[in-house]
Amino acid sequence: MKRDDWSGVSGEDRVSQSEARWEKLKHNRLRCGIDGEMEEANVEDILDDWFIESLKTYKDLHVYQLEHPTQVIEWTSGKTVCVAGYGSSKNEVLELRLPLKLFANENKGLCAERDFKVVHGGFADGPVRCLRHVPGTRCIVTSDGLSSNLQVWDLGGDDSDVIRRTGSVKGRTTASEGVSRIAARPSSRPHILHGALSGDIQLTELTSGKTLYKLETDSADPLSSLQFVGDSVFLAGCRNGNIYVADTRTSSAPQLSPPPASSGESEPWWTDASAGPDPSSCRVIRLSLSGEAAVSDLRNPGAIVSRARLDVQTHCRCSSTDDVGLSLAPALDCIAVSGLGRAVQIYDTSVWRPEPQDALPLFEHRGHEVSSRQSDEGSVPALVTSHVWHPDRPRTLLSAAADGSVHVWDWVDRSAADAPAPGAK
Amino acid sequence: MPEINVTPLGAGQDVGRSCILVSIGGKNIMLDCGMHMGYNDDRRFPDFSYITQNGRLTEFLDCVIISHFHLDHCGALPYMSEMVGYDGPIYMTHPTKAICPILLEDFRKITVDKKGETNFFTSQMIKDCMKKVVPLNLHQTVQVDDELEIKAYYAGHVLGAAMVQIKVGSESVVYTGDYNMTPDRHLGAAWIDKCRPDILISESTYATTIRDSKRCRERDFLKKVHESIERGGKVLIPVFALGRAQELCILLETFWERMNLKAPIYFSTGLTEKANHYYKLFITWTNQKIRKTFVQRNMFEFKHIKPFDRSYADNPGPMVVFATPGMLHAGQSLQIFKKWAGNEKNMVIMPGYCVQGTIGHKILNGQRKLEMEGRATLEVKLQVEYMSFSAHADAKGIMQLIRMAEPRNMLLVHGEGAKMTFLKGKIEQEFSIDCYMPANGETATVSTNPSVPVDISLNLLKREMALGGPLPDPKKPRTMHGTLIMKENSLKLVSSEQALKELGLNEHQLRFTCRVQLQDPHSDSDTLHRIYTHLKSVLKGYTIQHLPDGTVMVESIVIKVSSSADDANTKVLLLSWSYQDEDLGSFLSTLLKKGLPSGLC
Repeated sequence: MKRDDWSGVSGEDRVSQSEARWEKLKHNRLRCGIDGEMEEANVEDILDDWFIESLKTYKDLHVYQLEHPTQVIEWTSGKTVCVAGYGSSKNEVLELRLPLKLFANENKGLCAERDFKVVHGGFADGPVRCLRHVPGTRCIVTSDGLSSNLQVWDLGGDDSDVIRRTGSVKGRTTASEGVSRIAARPSSRPHILHGALSGDIQLTELTSGKTLYKLETDSADPLSSLQFVGDSVFLAGCRNGNIYVADTRTSSAPQLSPPPASSGESEPWWTDASAGPDPSSCRVIRLSLSGEAAVSDLRNPGAIVSRARLDVQTHCRCSSTDDVGLSLAPALDCIAVSGLGRAVQIYDTSVWRPEPQDALPLFEHRGHEVSSRQSDEGSVPALVTSHVWHPDRPRTLLSAAADGSVHVWDWVDRSAADAPAPGAK
Repeated sequence: MPEINVTPLGAGQDVGRSCILVSIGGKNIMLDCGMHMGYNDDRRFPDFSYITQNGRLTEFLDCVIISHFHLDHCGALPYMSEMVGYDGPIYMTHPTKAICPILLEDFRKITVDKKGETNFFTSQMIKDCMKKVVPLNLHQTVQVDDELEIKAYYAGHVLGAAMVQIKVGSESVVYTGDYNMTPDRHLGAAWIDKCRPDILISESTYATTIRDSKRCRERDFLKKVHESIERGGKVLIPVFALGRAQELCILLETFWERMNLKAPIYFSTGLTEKANHYYKLFITWTNQKIRKTFVQRNMFEFKHIKPFDRSYADNPGPMVVFATPGMLHAGQSLQIFKKWAGNEKNMVIMPGYCVQGTIGHKILNGQRKLEMEGRATLEVKLQVEYMSFSAHADAKGIMQLIRMAEPRNMLLVHGEGAKMTFLKGKIEQEFSIDCYMPANGETATVSTNPSVPVDISLNLLKREMALGGPLPDPKKPRTMHGTLIMKENSLKLVSSEQALKELGLNEHQLRFTCRVQLQDPHSDSDTLHRIYTHLKSVLKGYTIQHLPDGTVMVESIVIKVSSSADDANTKVLLLSWSYQDEDLGSFLSTLLKKGLPSGLC
């Protein structure tokens, strides 16, 4: 029996069925206001439809609901992630252990454990806009976006479940310049690279608070990303599309690459880069608000290797762009984009060419949009606030939305399912 | 200060044997009487010797309340009531009362008949125990005795699960049992009113988890069933007749309908009637959707699900069968399992917990070769899947419940204290209440501040008003005088006159008198006048009178003068004052003892 041959209705028809139901529901709501169990049943039906459809499209799908939404998801070990609230005053920082079921290889069927476990938790006085784990330690560093100073936390060990504030790191400027970006890498004496503007990036040793390095630039552009791409080489992506590549061992001027020439207004830009032992293996991706994406090589970030126009429905143009996430997959030639449309989109960059062309997503995770329709203010589906790739499982991602939902999902590679050709990724 | 004591019984901080003692307002209540499913020895039952070392529990307990039918909440009940000895009332809801004995009997059979254990309760003991049960309705206040009352609230979780409020006077405790804050396919969400108990007692088992959604659990179930059906395999789902079975049937029915699937689904014989019987009885305990559709058609009469005949098990091609019992220890589910176990295309899905010693328990532990009766071995080649559909409140649910009930204190049982410091801090911060986590055998004591209602007589209030001054400010305390009388079990604050009248008492005056000797070479009347002048100069602002009958009065204090019989120069002053002027009276006596100043005329 063929794998896809399990119903008289094709997947596409099913999608359109659920869409039709949703449209009808919206129409009803307009007509008779928010009331009636008919509608409730309809929302339930849409969810049922989506979940049935998901049987074909996802290998694993887990849907969690946090008490408070998070803008950060950060791996603190192979099995744990940190999330944190971004409310204006009191917030929680939580370290969650992913369910055993996700890690069971043998006898997966016998493992019924599918819940997140809160292993450690702490309280933050302000919002948590950026959170970075310092590799090789039990330490995390956060930015509240209110000043350039950072907060340092100890995640706690096996004997306690409390995340404690242990200190702070002073930024270069005192005024608020937006959210500080933080980068960390494994080293014997833990240090972090941080800054909110290209002009105030510095490397600070965590224990002593000593400044080890400062980036000198001519301008001070707000950053959208900051990361190490090698032992000492780092990349700073600015919102205006500029990229700085510099080495913390030298004080020589950074390498600056302006954004790819684009048609019309495109700011802001988001950047991500893959890390690797040598620059030739590091790829850089840039994406603009209008959906223009460009891949380049770290050795020469100015030269575009391939590019595409992504199918992002930027209906958040008027609202905040803080939530936009762009990431390169660790194990595939793919990128994930979230926060521009309602879905988390996966694009296959291996098919892009040097000339710009329209690209359709390889996969879309619409789970947050569908499940947030359930809530009573249903008319506004929740925006995706963050996403991360699983470091080891190639097609597994974690994503979070403004309604507090966190999804763990592993999509089915349709190309492999349809035609298991040799050499398929 | 009155206090409430809460003691979880048992060994160590571990899950799976709920039994909590509460003493409140002089009453002792046992909440749940569960057994530990992981032990075969004495440790499986709570340690009742904590209550009394010798003999029966009846005189030490005012009542026992069972929250729901799961064995970790009711499994030790016949042992407690019939073997240790308890004859008082046992409260549980109607569905729990109906289902609990079936589960206990099932469990007894496994333990005694299969595993050959002795020293276990008998069928008769289960029956005798159930005779002591008093059924509870939701939201109905039940008076256990003159002072102790209990009230059940809907807890979701399983059919008949209840949270219970225990009240003595103005002190109260709420025990949640297991509960679920999100409605599912056949049950609603837990609900309680803003009853502000002194303590909210909740399980902490799931307090640090964030639950995967019910729909994802269902999705995996459908995925497994579908995979097996697709490869032409047969799926066995061993179930207990009530609860999950209905939920999974509704789910499969919906799925088959939507996917237009043709493979037959069977429900093992007897199961349907039994289930229908119970659900008709307890329809009010299911969720709104089921209640509503039940009016149009029986939710549990399915289009795709047909009654099973034992001959069907040998039919070729895919099929899905729901069969009892749920732990594969006997009966139809075990028969079918034996038939299908050898084929790797087939699948068994275990939707719930299995106790030790059952085939279900063995295969869930990965055992692939089973020793059957008659020395035969059964090789298990079929796919074994374990799925947990249990409906428990997680970290978020616990916070929701606290928000609902607004307790003054929170108490979490069965937790590992050190691993819950964050949770404790979170509850204490967010709600400004204390959070207790007693270990088993350890007592948490909470002081209560019960308010005592007092009636105030209208006359007393009117008099207070007449005394003038500003109208009372409700936000500020104000002193008023009255007499507190206790009459017919109620307290009243009245004027002292009214108190005398109501209690039929005579009024008495209490006066202090004292003599002061004084050297003063004047006539008695002159001395009196000198005293009058002296006091007038010392006590400014007091009413001081020189009365014609030869006395001086300062407020209520009377002063008289007489000469000593032996010495005319020695004057004896007689002072007398009422109880109310005690301060002034003693001041005057002290003052006069010092004598009169010489310059007085």
